[in-house]
Amino acid sequence: MNKIVKLAVVLGVISAIAGGILAGVYQFTAPVIEARNQAALKAGLLEVFPGNYKFSELKIKLKSPDPAVTFGKIYKVEDSSGNLVGIILDVTTPGDQAPIEMLVGVNRNGTINGVKILKSLETPGLGANASNPHYYVNKKKKITFLGQFKGKKVTDPFIPKKDVIAITGATITSTAVSRGVKAAGVAAYEYMQKAGGS
Amino acid sequence: MKDKLKIIWNGIVPSNPVLILAIGLCSVVAVTNFVKNALLMSFAFSFVLILSEVIVSSIRKWIPDEIRVPIFVVVIATFTTIAALLSHAYFPSVYDAIKLYILLVVVNCIIIGRAEAFAYKNGVFDSLLDGIGMSLGYSWVIITIAVIRELFGNGTIANIRVMPHIYQPALIMILPPAGFLVLGVLVGWLEWSLKKKKEAKK
Repeated sequence: MNKIVKLAVVLGVISAIAGGILAGVYQFTAPVIEARNQAALKAGLLEVFPGNYKFSELKIKLKSPDPAVTFGKIYKVEDSSGNLVGIILDVTTPGDQAPIEMLVGVNRNGTINGVKILKSLETPGLGANASNPHYYVNKKKKITFLGQFKGKKVTDPFIPKKDVIAITGATITSTAVSRGVKAAGVAAYEYMQKAGGS
Repeated sequence: MKDKLKIIWNGIVPSNPVLILAIGLCSVVAVTNFVKNALLMSFAFSFVLILSEVIVSSIRKWIPDEIRVPIFVVVIATFTTIAALLSHAYFPSVYDAIKLYILLVVVNCIIIGRAEAFAYKNGVFDSLLDGIGMSLGYSWVIITIAVIRELFGNGTIANIRVMPHIYQPALIMILPPAGFLVLGVLVGWLEWSLKKKKEAKK
């Protein structure tokens, strides 16, 4: 009996010390991680809507027209005089191995302004080329896979090998990204038309 | 002095954890597709192994034999979590790529194996040296494999282009099968050269 108590006390003391140390390290690293995430988000927003714009979070929920695609946070893009230029959606779409999280910027006139992949676990050398800035689907014009969405109308079909150039050997990734962009475009355009004059 | 150096050397070649003991190979195959992944993994692995060995050896007199494994796991898990938090804060993009394998250092058999086989039976200073030796042994192997795989599979080393643009990368080198291929070749090469050395001595 005494033996068991002794074992429990030893293990308890060691675990408590370990817990205390972890709490300290967490306190120290949490603000750094948070600041990095904020900076990465800011850079991402600027990448899908380059220019002198103001970004603010929109407290609305948009329903995705595609059941496989979900939306996270939504950001409003305004020019310096406060006119609505477009909105950016944080989109999650099912990738080849894990969900792909990306930012999709949609113009008020119903075209895609830019797409950036935030998180993905696609196969290196194949699906991972979706976010490779040196992988061109159109080598002559130097258009990247994500770059080809710029200026595309949200009413387009967004089907790889038809109106979207697919990544060689990565049809699943190409389809997943196209579906995500399409869903975000449709939902965002619908919202902006309703919001109208604001 | 000489036997202290021998403890370090032991981890680098004669009992190299990857090439000779051949344990903990799962993460070796997974993180060696790019040099930057291998570098971060080496850091996390060395951090956890060295500190765990030091702590385990310094409290070994108070560890009751019956619950030594749970205690090793608590110590190792603590350092793994610290390594993961530090990597997340300071190397966020690489951390995102190999997050899973850093967290899995906690169940890496090299670390629990060294805690049990070495640190639990030896003094603090010797355990520190053993940790350093084993970490160096692990790191040189995975960085070598990563350099070979990234060079032929992507034409770069640590994201710096080395091969001319005309070189068509062999994709298989950065996909998992090549992890086994390169590892196997390295194991064969080391065994062969050790054997040759032994014969030369005779």
